[in-house]
Amino acid sequence: MYKSITISKGNGGWGGPLTIMPTDTCNKIVSVTGGGIHPVAAKIAEMTGCQAIDGFVTSVPDHEMLVAVVDCGGTARCGVYPKKKVFTVNLTPVGKVGPLAQFITENLYVSAVTEKTLAYAAEDAVLTSKEGTAVETKKTSSEPKTKAQARAELAAMNAGKKKNIITRLGIGVGGVVNKFYQAGRDTIDMVIKSILPFMAFVSMIIGIIKVSGIGTLIATTISPLASTLPGMLVISVVCSLPFISPVIGPGAVIAQVVGTLLGVEIGLGHIPVQYALPALFAINAQVGGDFVPVGLSLGEAEPETIELGVPAVLYSRIITGPLSVVIAYLFSFGMY
Amino acid sequence: MELIAELANGFMELFKAGADTFAGWVMGIIPLIVVLMTAVSAVIKLIGEERVQRLAQKATTNIITRYTILPILSVLFLGNPMCYSFGRFVEEKHKPAFYDATVSFLHPVTGLFPHANGGELFVYMGIAAGVTALGFPLGSLAVRYFLVGIIVIFIRGFVTEKIYASMKAREQ
Repeated sequence: MYKSITISKGNGGWGGPLTIMPTDTCNKIVSVTGGGIHPVAAKIAEMTGCQAIDGFVTSVPDHEMLVAVVDCGGTARCGVYPKKKVFTVNLTPVGKVGPLAQFITENLYVSAVTEKTLAYAAEDAVLTSKEGTAVETKKTSSEPKTKAQARAELAAMNAGKKKNIITRLGIGVGGVVNKFYQAGRDTIDMVIKSILPFMAFVSMIIGIIKVSGIGTLIATTISPLASTLPGMLVISVVCSLPFISPVIGPGAVIAQVVGTLLGVEIGLGHIPVQYALPALFAINAQVGGDFVPVGLSLGEAEPETIELGVPAVLYSRIITGPLSVVIAYLFSFGMY
Repeated sequence: MELIAELANGFMELFKAGADTFAGWVMGIIPLIVVLMTAVSAVIKLIGEERVQRLAQKATTNIITRYTILPILSVLFLGNPMCYSFGRFVEEKHKPAFYDATVSFLHPVTGLFPHANGGELFVYMGIAAGVTALGFPLGSLAVRYFLVGIIVIFIRGFVTEKIYASMKAREQ
């Protein structure tokens, strides 16, 4: 017996509330959270009468997914499922951000969800429509469409006349300038939404580390480890262990923070400068370990491929992680 | 009273170092990144994804280009996370290996082409900041990171392809 529930946003969250009802074909709650089925996913499944599935172990076709539960910090995953028109529950308080922000809409996405923000739907509650976005996008696209129509009419009118070289040149330049302008807009978007927030958070951490004396602790413990080849290999092996890599992967946040800390130590001369290159690989052996199922489904892989593909990538890292450090070490000779 | 004032000063001191770091980054890193990212992503937009697709298709047949040219093209032209969608060009049995190669290139690319993964710049930038602090130019590190990246993604693609194949064989 399926039941409809309402999922509301939690503290600092965005989107929703989503009122959802499983059907016979669309009845899987997929937990793409790395490390088993998250309690929130389990709770949603229990309340609705659906089946909870670990997205890392088993892959589910998009049309069977009622809800995808993710713990994305705002890089990619939070947008991938809304793009596929799957209801998305994000456990972290992240709004409409990331490269796929345009697909994150209030009727497909809700964030900062905890077990407390789940409730059975009221009897007269209306189910959230996924198509709302489609209608909305149609609405917004209707304006450019009329513009396009106008342009088409203009083109039709001009069709009789042969365009002279100046007109053609003008159109060509216009197109190029437009692309440059769009590139600028994308860049500023990226700076404001991703780069500046990261700088703010890491510079705060670095400031505290420098002043509070934790810096000296790092200089005496981690720096010696990161200034020898065996030490680097240990770091890469730890990062690539299959039960660790999916956990420390998301958004490359940990790699970025560690990279910044090592950068400070290199700047202070505690770590030899030529170790910069192998360090880049040592701290990043886990790259994308959290994202395998999502990345594979973006590449239109079959569910069976994803099931075997996840462990294949994770196991391969145990070999290629340390190997990449060795290669980078060899390439660092004569760098500075 | 004085004690409280002392404490307040100490508290502010804790964050002043952070503020200096932040100001240094905003002044030192952002202007170059903004101009560089705009230029490269404009060129990429002018070339267009469609024109690359034929080349991408060709790159899938050979094991070396499949895990070097193809991931590089997809990362440069589509960026994170849409680069994985080029996986549709490769055969089903090569998809996990293609993913591994592509994702592993997302950071080596940022030294020269930050537009491809602007949200995760600090893996490279963080370490590069230390090299800059010592007064060394970054060109050498960025180019070597890129080149070693290409070698590593080929090895990752190759190893993952073999591991996936043997797992698949064992299952049947």
